[in-house]
Amino acid sequence: MASSSKDSFPTTSNQENPPDELEPGACYESILNPTDSFEEFASEMSSSLQERNILLNTKSSTIHEIQSEIGESLKENTQIKSTKSTDDLQGKEESMTASTSNSNLIDQSEDDTDNEKDDYLQSPELVNKEKHVFILSSAGKPIYSRYGNEDKLAGLCGVIQALVSVVEEQNQDILRSITTKDCKAVFLVKGPLILVAVSKSNESETQLVLQLTYAFNQIVSVLTLTQLNRIFEQRRNYDLRRLLSGAERLIDHLLIFMEKDPAFLLGAVRCLPLPEKARENITSAIQSTCSKIRDLVFAIMLAGNQLITLVRMKKYTLHPSDIHLLFNLVRSSESFKTAESWTPICLPKFDSTGFLHGHVSYISEDCQACLLLLTVQRDAFFPLSQAKHTIAEKLRRSNCLVAINDALNRNEELPTTNPLKHIGIPEIRHFMYKCKSTAQLFTSDPISLDKLQDYRIRHKEGGDICEKKVEKLSDIDYVRNYRQFCAQIHCMSTPAKLIFRSNSHDTILAWITHGFELYVTFDPLMEKDQAIRAVDRLLKWIKREEQRIFIMHAPTF
Amino acid sequence: MIDVKTKINSFFIFNSSFGPREGDELKRILFYHPSQTSPDAQKMQVGLCEAVVKFMSTFSSEPCEALQTQTKRYIFYQPEKGYWMVLVVRIPYTTKALAAIGETQGDVIDPSIMHDLLLSAYKMFKMFRGPFKNFSTDDVYTVCEHFFNPFIVSKSLTNDISDVIQGINYLPLDKNSFFKVLCFIDLLEVNYPHFKCISFIYNEQLIWNGLSTNDMLTLYQYLVQTLLPKQVEKEIQGGAVTAAQRHGRFIQPAEGIKSSEDLEKLVQVHLMREDDTEIKQYYLIIYRTMSATVSFTVDVDVELEFEMFRSLDAFIGPQLSAIASTISEQCTLHALQTAQLAVSEHKFVYFNRLNLAFKTSPPINKLHPSTSITPEVLTIISGIHSDTKSLGNYGEIIIKTPDEYWITGKSSNEREFYVIIQEKNANLKEIADEVRRICEAQMKGIFFYPM
Repeated sequence: MASSSKDSFPTTSNQENPPDELEPGACYESILNPTDSFEEFASEMSSSLQERNILLNTKSSTIHEIQSEIGESLKENTQIKSTKSTDDLQGKEESMTASTSNSNLIDQSEDDTDNEKDDYLQSPELVNKEKHVFILSSAGKPIYSRYGNEDKLAGLCGVIQALVSVVEEQNQDILRSITTKDCKAVFLVKGPLILVAVSKSNESETQLVLQLTYAFNQIVSVLTLTQLNRIFEQRRNYDLRRLLSGAERLIDHLLIFMEKDPAFLLGAVRCLPLPEKARENITSAIQSTCSKIRDLVFAIMLAGNQLITLVRMKKYTLHPSDIHLLFNLVRSSESFKTAESWTPICLPKFDSTGFLHGHVSYISEDCQACLLLLTVQRDAFFPLSQAKHTIAEKLRRSNCLVAINDALNRNEELPTTNPLKHIGIPEIRHFMYKCKSTAQLFTSDPISLDKLQDYRIRHKEGGDICEKKVEKLSDIDYVRNYRQFCAQIHCMSTPAKLIFRSNSHDTILAWITHGFELYVTFDPLMEKDQAIRAVDRLLKWIKREEQRIFIMHAPTF
Repeated sequence: MIDVKTKINSFFIFNSSFGPREGDELKRILFYHPSQTSPDAQKMQVGLCEAVVKFMSTFSSEPCEALQTQTKRYIFYQPEKGYWMVLVVRIPYTTKALAAIGETQGDVIDPSIMHDLLLSAYKMFKMFRGPFKNFSTDDVYTVCEHFFNPFIVSKSLTNDISDVIQGINYLPLDKNSFFKVLCFIDLLEVNYPHFKCISFIYNEQLIWNGLSTNDMLTLYQYLVQTLLPKQVEKEIQGGAVTAAQRHGRFIQPAEGIKSSEDLEKLVQVHLMREDDTEIKQYYLIIYRTMSATVSFTVDVDVELEFEMFRSLDAFIGPQLSAIASTISEQCTLHALQTAQLAVSEHKFVYFNRLNLAFKTSPPINKLHPSTSITPEVLTIISGIHSDTKSLGNYGEIIIKTPDEYWITGKSSNEREFYVIIQEKNANLKEIADEVRRICEAQMKGIFFYPM
């Protein structure tokens, strides 16, 4: 964890990073599992066709482990669930007819249906979009399309399925991507599903594959991988949309979320900046209230796509991508605001084979913080509801709700509200910092609630490609610019440790060490020594404020 | 050196409109390498490519460029509407997949090199055979067979910087020598008005260019990579320089021009000269004395007589050998001077997009491929070179790799300058200073901003 001299920033002196000091934001124990999504991606992408099929079914169940540890087998529970789902299937399958077959590729592209499809693809609903995402079953049945109506895209899905299967069956290979000068199509086959992104954005292939993996995980989070696999084992032609009603909205939101928030780019979680004392109070309120509840695995408090605290069962940590799915769930579901909810949630990285049960509620009407209590116990709603009310009461008494609201509303007096102003380096226009060991992220533009709203309104206009004259870059534009730097730094064949690029628009520095990743945008044509000094000061500031902007403890029940 | 033949999985050209009906799929395939591939396998590959092209056309108006699978990369190029050239190369999706196909990182050729190979294959075809659409459906199969087979077999790549950035190596001369070359060319044009577009090459370096830059690059590559190495080999085998060689001879056509029958063997090229509005056909004639090579074009409509060439030979021969010896002296002198300059262990590359001028350290020499540029560094440079947008009109990028290479790229009004430094304990500022020193020493008078 300690940064070695090899990794220290090429400053004139190396004294800033004595070997025993941790990089800003690092602590010895992390609530998050810092496995890099890039590493994971690398291992997945390097698997061959044969290996891929084996991989999917060999995960052990963490939930099962917890349940047996608590000494209470929930076997009957899973049984109920599985019988229920098979019932579902049988009822629905009868009305289905098998349609897709592995017909010859060339024939298919000359089909009549193909012409219809072409027409539909040129319709205003679909044309000129920056990024399409299609999800289909390996039999070629449409499941999800980001734009337009899946039913009308059956022809296109047939072509995608044919392309994938020709490469697999006749060439013994895996289709990865197709590119033109302005457009990339990226293919991902995961279990019984085929996911495709067709993008004209500046995202790299790897970044697009990661987004598709998220979309797949979102589906798993609704169904569990076990159920998903079983459905298609029983009926290859099953129309998955029957089971996913409601999940389309989650995927829609997730796709927007991924385009806007650097958390996905870096595989890290944003924390709501809070005074150290306030976060401690919140954590201990949860700990003291929940310590008696045996089956509780995670208690998570979040607000506006930012983590406030996470209390966990000993031994278990959460992966950032699971937390992102929780953020997405909370943000996409208005119903959580009106009532306490009890919902099954599968966290794919934690355990893709089964559901956790979640008590989800907002802390109070005057505070936008949301509390999730995740348990392996199916009928724990009432004890958890009781616990939530106790926690809410404690937080109100200790003034924590005020602290959360101040942070969310970006109270002018907080140093983290406008970090650039507080740091006082005028040449820095924007930065983002990821502490690798804890998988946490801080940027110079903390999210506020009104901005979140803004994403959604803006996206309602349709995700079209538009040529706009840029006068002042928004935060999202800065993040957009970092994409290619991030791609190069994490490139699998030719990675970079440091990139300094300066042109007439801006100067961007991207730098990765053992401990952190840092991306900074400066004024154009910045001098190198000036940039070095600015980065030094920036790192010192982050170190000084680390207790506020990161979660530095890994509390357990 | 990398043997292209072992890297190329297949190379084919197709046009879907040639066999529109089912059952006629083989007619769509104009050329397929390796030719022993079974017709079914050929049809399958071409079918896949047709489907891929069609699939992408629903999303993008730009033509398809590449298809990546786990182990291979299909590189697409559509030089003329409907005609597709596809190169299938063993370039795996990830480095970890390398082991699976039994390769190491060093063996992998950068995709951009392969794309350029496809481009130059077509440009060469177009120069010496004309565009595809000129051929009837009866001829096109044999023409492609005769042209592309030898092309693939003869091609070798070095995975060197000169393959990533394709440019022309110019020979710097002092004013007097340069003036002599110019006078010679002017005199020739005045005395033999049919002989146009005269270009002058010494060894492998260009001194004067009479063609448009694009055609010149193709002709230059043909001369330097194909024609001249063969000549040099012949000259070396011939032992001592014969009298005929001292006086020079026609090397294109290959057997020289010794009688009027030889005029039949003149090579035709398809070029667009500066005052032309369309591509026209010309005879290409190349003359060589010692290390100096001169090329000219003659309009195919001109009545050629053997007498004309004999008098040309008599005119050029003595003059050219005099100029060649002057230049040779110059070069020796210049070599001595550079040897005295402090040798920098850092590599640099200069490239000018306008005149394709290309300069590296040490001078490019195909016989001694530079081993010091690793494939990873090459890929990074190729990335900077192809992404012209990110540096804009003027800009600079410095990239540090995990194995302590610092790659600097500068761009200033279509000029590019790259420096590769391997330095363990350097910082950004020190690297920038070193690059500035190299730039000042090597590129005197060429201005780069930011400094």
